[in-house]
Amino acid sequence: MPVKAFAARNFKELIRDPLSYIFCIGLPIVMLVIMTILGRSIPSQAELEIFSLQNQCAGMIVFAFSFVMLFTALLISKDRAGSLLIRLFASPMRSYEFIIGYAIPLALIAVAQILACFGASIILSPAIGESLNIQYIPLCFLVSIPSVILFIGLGIIFGFLFSEKSAPGLSSIIISAAPILGGVWMDLDMIGGQLLAVAKCFPFYYAVSSCRKIMEGNFNDVPQSIMILSIWAVLIFIASVFVYRIKTKEN
Amino acid sequence: MKAVKTTELTKLYGNRRAVDGLNLEIERGELYSILGVNGAGKTTLIKMLCCLSRPSEGKAFILGKSVTEQSEEVKRLINLSTQATAVALNLTVEENLRMMAGIYGMKADEARQKTEEMIKALSFEEYKSSRAKTLSGGWRRKLSIAMALITQPKILFLDEPTLGLDVLARRELWKLIQTLKGKMTIILTTHYMEEAQALSDRIGIMHAGRIIASGTPEQLMISTNTTSIEQAFIELSGGGADAG
Repeated sequence: MPVKAFAARNFKELIRDPLSYIFCIGLPIVMLVIMTILGRSIPSQAELEIFSLQNQCAGMIVFAFSFVMLFTALLISKDRAGSLLIRLFASPMRSYEFIIGYAIPLALIAVAQILACFGASIILSPAIGESLNIQYIPLCFLVSIPSVILFIGLGIIFGFLFSEKSAPGLSSIIISAAPILGGVWMDLDMIGGQLLAVAKCFPFYYAVSSCRKIMEGNFNDVPQSIMILSIWAVLIFIASVFVYRIKTKEN
Repeated sequence: MKAVKTTELTKLYGNRRAVDGLNLEIERGELYSILGVNGAGKTTLIKMLCCLSRPSEGKAFILGKSVTEQSEEVKRLINLSTQATAVALNLTVEENLRMMAGIYGMKADEARQKTEEMIKALSFEEYKSSRAKTLSGGWRRKLSIAMALITQPKILFLDEPTLGLDVLARRELWKLIQTLKGKMTIILTTHYMEEAQALSDRIGIMHAGRIIASGTPEQLMISTNTTSIEQAFIELSGGGADAG
């Protein structure tokens, strides 16, 4: 099974890099704790729902996915820098097997990120006296699927288009922009105006808001957000396959 | 049936002819070296024969299969060890070998068995659990060749296999390549004259995208009235004749 062999290799490459633990799991959890502490220090009269554990957890999941993009880009650009990809292009593996072989291990890391964020939230919940709608966690998993596809697709595009030096730099732009445009650190709906209008032009807002609304048990706008997010995810993934095909032909 | 046959094979990059109307025939079981300076078109030729780059003009066949029309079948018959590191650095020797076996469709049991055989045959026992990134340049190159051999190719392409290696590591790889002679067709590109002379059944001298002379090392030296391949190469690169 070529896909299994290639996916296993990519998974081992990822889990043997200590940085993937620090960035993909450690950093989102640390940020979740920091933001929760920050929220606790704001007077309750301010009524800033954004800092509730539930909202932060949902936002942090999307923030964590942006590191999946970084590690996808790093893995592919490193493979391109060596000659391993050339040798694999000369093998009977097909285009779709390459893409799936890269995507599967990263999707598994995304699952680990969701579990880590929810795990940390479940531990924090009694400690800070905030409730968490645990019953909606499985639904949140499902809603996260388009976001995972979106970020893996972006990682594939950066990994194939840019060198191992440029790809992380460009990924970091998305890592910085995604939580701002997604409203992870602030309530974009409350701020409104041009910032909200700009945020709605990108998929990150829909990724964060759909997870948050699911966790709140408020399903009213969720289908629309998921639809917009899914269109983005499909378009980005098609673009990533297109970039892959162009780059392999260039070889 | 020839192992490799090309007819007027050409690769254009803009107006530059990297490979220029190349006609080449390589017999089965032969070790054929393509000798040329940097930029002669050796790697471009290998890339076309390995279905990595589409020819601009002409045709190429691997064991009778077209590299453009039947690339999937061609890919099952060949393997390639490139001039740079072509191993997964964070995987152990054993894992690298098993990965390649899996990619070429071997089932888990068969892959495990072939990996064991390869580790034994190439004396990797001491390093089998070492990650590729901890190996020396020579051992990495050897691993790269082992990753090609485990798939049991009918034709093995070795693109500058000893580039950048020290003299001892190079001699060690020569020994390995010599043990493979006759078991499969090997097409080796190199710009080391003594390497081509020591290993090859026949040598093709490539210059500006063309094979300007082809023959056994002896034929090339006789035709140029020289005593070494290096002298023959210098002589031929200035003119051009077919010795074989």
